[in-house]
Amino acid sequence: MSGSASKRSGWLVWAAFALPVVLLLLSLNLGSYDIPFKEVWATIAHGPASGPAAASPAADIIFRIRLPRLLLALFAGAALSVSGASLQALFKNPLVFEFSLGISYGAAFGAALSLVFLGHGFPPQLAAFAFAVLAVLLVLVIAGRSVSQIVPVLLSGVIVSALFQALLSLVEFFANPYALQALIFWLMGSLSQAVWKDLALTLPVIGLGIVILILLRWRLNVLSLGDDEARALGVNVKWEKGLVIAVATLTTAAATSVTGVINWVGLIVPHLVRMMVGADNRKVIPLSAALGASLLIVADDIARNAASFEIPIGILTSVVGIPLFIVLLKRSGKIWL
Amino acid sequence: MRLRVENLAFSYEDFRLEISSLAFADGRVTSIVGPNGAGKSTFLKCAASVLPAPRRSLFADGKDLADLRGRERAKLVGYVPQEPSFTFNYTVLDFVLTGRAAFIGAFSSPSVHDVSLAENALHYVGLMGRGRRPFLELSSGERRLVLIARALAQGPDILLLDEPTSFLDPRHEVETMTLCRRLAEEKGKTVIVTLHNLEMAVRYSDVMVFMKKGRVVASGRPSEVLSEPLLRDVYEIDMKIVECAGRTFFVK
Repeated sequence: MSGSASKRSGWLVWAAFALPVVLLLLSLNLGSYDIPFKEVWATIAHGPASGPAAASPAADIIFRIRLPRLLLALFAGAALSVSGASLQALFKNPLVFEFSLGISYGAAFGAALSLVFLGHGFPPQLAAFAFAVLAVLLVLVIAGRSVSQIVPVLLSGVIVSALFQALLSLVEFFANPYALQALIFWLMGSLSQAVWKDLALTLPVIGLGIVILILLRWRLNVLSLGDDEARALGVNVKWEKGLVIAVATLTTAAATSVTGVINWVGLIVPHLVRMMVGADNRKVIPLSAALGASLLIVADDIARNAASFEIPIGILTSVVGIPLFIVLLKRSGKIWL
Repeated sequence: MRLRVENLAFSYEDFRLEISSLAFADGRVTSIVGPNGAGKSTFLKCAASVLPAPRRSLFADGKDLADLRGRERAKLVGYVPQEPSFTFNYTVLDFVLTGRAAFIGAFSSPSVHDVSLAENALHYVGLMGRGRRPFLELSSGERRLVLIARALAQGPDILLLDEPTSFLDPRHEVETMTLCRRLAEEKGKTVIVTLHNLEMAVRYSDVMVFMKKGRVVASGRPSEVLSEPLLRDVYEIDMKIVECAGRTFFVK
């Protein structure tokens, strides 16, 4: 790589990482309660528990409602995108994302079980996380010795997703109307449940997962060549593949457990990034994190402000993301890079 | 001997590879020839540890390959598959850089030194200035050269090439085999190739190994080992050996 090209791509990465932070700060004034920018900055400058601003409605809204919500959007968007990009590289298939490994429906069933039958004693986030992990374990067990081949893994993912989808329907069938309403709201994906107590538990897990996957970014280039070639190149395929699957699963499951089901982000964002910068995972993984975080912050801004009621973000990402993705594919004339 | 084989036995489904003794010297090109299903590629995959060979059957520089960790083994033995099997369209340089995996930790990325070695490898195979090109835009012949460049960037003394000339036009066939000879002569590598083209094997090899049904039938210098009865035994068809203009040809 020439010096200037290397400098350019270095700037691109820094600019990309600054984008979600800038968007988060700009989004703090958006919402049904209008807070002018000046007041937003003054409130942030004072901090949550210092000075008279702490007691003001603006401070309360910013620190108790908007900031945790936007932080969740940032971390969840980055988590879904980075995990999607990593799994796509690992399974040598650009169509793999959290849905393919049963994570979405595993988490959905866990949350449903908790919301409908276990009540407040058992947090839906914990149940969603546990069943998302269980779904991936099931996929790996069913794929068995063929786990290194994409078709058995995808088929196992379809089977496990179908199983949890059926179980989810069963839970919905027995749910009382109130629990069903809460469940449907969760299934459509929302960031409105973001509270510091939950985030204190999940954000470190998500953050750590993202950092590990970013550190593994070049290794994913080698692992994406397939087990045989990676082994011949000296890679401990079993261990490193297991590590990527475990980290990607835990990161996605942790995000899904708080946000509900937000599909397509993990598929669309890595594709957009590959269209922009090529296939090298040294760029794809960190830029997916930045773009995914930015995308979910913007999507949440739209979800909160486009109508007089809040649009579930999972619906928004699908309705807006899929046509956008189709247009980009058609324009680029490529399926993947 | 750089690579030594002793009582190698490997089975899958109803196929069994059984080689009692074989040795490959440094600075030589050895061609392994034989019909489809003879076990040529299986042997290479065992030697490259793509397939799990038993202990005390394959030794590189006196070390049992089965006892070595992946990254140590990859520093001794490089494997060049027929075709790379990747989905994503990396640039040529990014692809060659994957040859440095044994030298780079799982949580690290290639250094300037690694990039320089990859560029040198591309230069050696005659693909300088092509590093930024997407791999899938290259011709089949160029792709083979990139695969060899990756093995060079890996830096092992033993290079195993699985049918490096298959599906190539005559010019690229000659270029690839000339490169194999240069690797042996200039860099002292132990080059082992599996081939179907007997004329290429005779022309570019120091040693030929004939395999059939998982066993070594004959091995030695081409001029010493080649005979029409051997070809009939190995390929189960009649072939005439014709010498013309200092070259050996095979008439089926």
